[in-house]
Amino acid sequence: MKNLNIINLTKGETFLHQLTGTTKVRLFAVLMVYVMMSFDLPIILPLFVFSIISIISLKPHWKTIQPLIFFVVFLNVLNIVLYWLANPLCGLEYTGDQTILFAYTDYLIVTRGTLWFLSIRLLKMLTAFSTSLAFIMSITPSELAAGLTNIGFPYKLGSIVEIAFRYIPDISRDYENIAVSMQCRGLELDAKKTKPIERLKQMVIILIPLIVTSFDRVGNISNAMDLRGFGKGKKRSYYSEYPERRNDKIFKLIYCLIALFCAYYIISGFITPRVPKMWIYWRCL
Amino acid sequence: MKKESFGKILLGKWDTKTIVGVAIGIALFAVLMVYGSITVFTNTNLSLAMLVPIIVGGLFGPLPAALACGLGNVLADLIGGWGFWFDWSIGNALLGFIVGSLKLYGANIDEGVFDVKHMVIYAILAVLGNVLAFGFVTPIFTKLIFGGELEISIAQGWVAAVSNSTVLLVAGIPILKALAARNARGTNLTKE
Repeated sequence: MKNLNIINLTKGETFLHQLTGTTKVRLFAVLMVYVMMSFDLPIILPLFVFSIISIISLKPHWKTIQPLIFFVVFLNVLNIVLYWLANPLCGLEYTGDQTILFAYTDYLIVTRGTLWFLSIRLLKMLTAFSTSLAFIMSITPSELAAGLTNIGFPYKLGSIVEIAFRYIPDISRDYENIAVSMQCRGLELDAKKTKPIERLKQMVIILIPLIVTSFDRVGNISNAMDLRGFGKGKKRSYYSEYPERRNDKIFKLIYCLIALFCAYYIISGFITPRVPKMWIYWRCL
Repeated sequence: MKKESFGKILLGKWDTKTIVGVAIGIALFAVLMVYGSITVFTNTNLSLAMLVPIIVGGLFGPLPAALACGLGNVLADLIGGWGFWFDWSIGNALLGFIVGSLKLYGANIDEGVFDVKHMVIYAILAVLGNVLAFGFVTPIFTKLIFGGELEISIAQGWVAAVSNSTVLLVAGIPILKALAARNARGTNLTKE
């Protein structure tokens, strides 16, 4: 079982853990719009700093999230390099700057505008990641379901997410058991010794029993839920959801203000398009 | 056997069984995305998770399959730890809808109905769905959400489309056949 313990199933002790599910879900939704709407450094950087602070304040197990962070940073840097290789002039429509800094060949050139655009893009990706990480580490599946219902999704959707979270550990345990017992019978699963297509065929052999056992559960679970009267009422309440406390009210004010700012920024961008499309430091010097 | 109307199959029946089935589908999708994938290209895997929507679709209908595929991708992003790619989740949901429409053209895994005719339609739909979902829809959403260049998103999308089609054809047809054969036991009995 790798990586599976960033989702916590019980409520934590810290300040952010103690907020209600509704507050967390709404704040996260607003912040996602906030980070996606622009490429401006003055807008993205504060959120990046705040999300790092909130991750630290959640007192995570650094051992579990360290490899995760390294992997994400590595993948995003790789993506940036690939973007640059595919089109060394990318970001031109955003910056409108073609000052050449280095030129290796006629094709591989680094312009000032591209460098700026790509570094902001990297920061934007990392901000989206750190915000989501803080969100995931602070919420429990039950609170997530309650929050989704409070936003206005049907509660059946919330239940789907909750049940899915509940059965991920079970299914991954089944997967490991089946894989080990198939290896006992001589199935080679080592990535170095077999070709991808061979591995694909071997995975199918593992997959059939896994699918059968997983979907055999459906009858049991749904009968148990039916017996307890699931789906009879139009609404339901959640044990993990309680009335707003003082901190929730403060956060309510904060996310309302951020939402207003996002609306203003997006609408004003439609009425008078910004030229250039992103904030550039050398224009302000 | 009672014939269901086209629209009813399209929407699916949202009873407790479907809800639990979709939830299990999501969990299975997430687990397979994390364990059962073979890396080909950045952000792109030869992933067996793509087989989940056809099974959910075969059992419950196309809309549950779309939900299982889209939400499953979000959840896999959550536990797998490679960042969040909502653009890909939208593409996956569309693909789930298309390949999960087994019941619409008469294949029925529950009753063990899966012939050569269904196989051909399934293969065509799998390829078409991949091209549509990852060749066109995902790059457009990538552009909308993250900005950035269209060319490389399209390149990634095509790699994903090819690898997913491979999985859906090489592994999907044997699995569907095996499951149909397993469920077909006892269907030749007639009620007296």
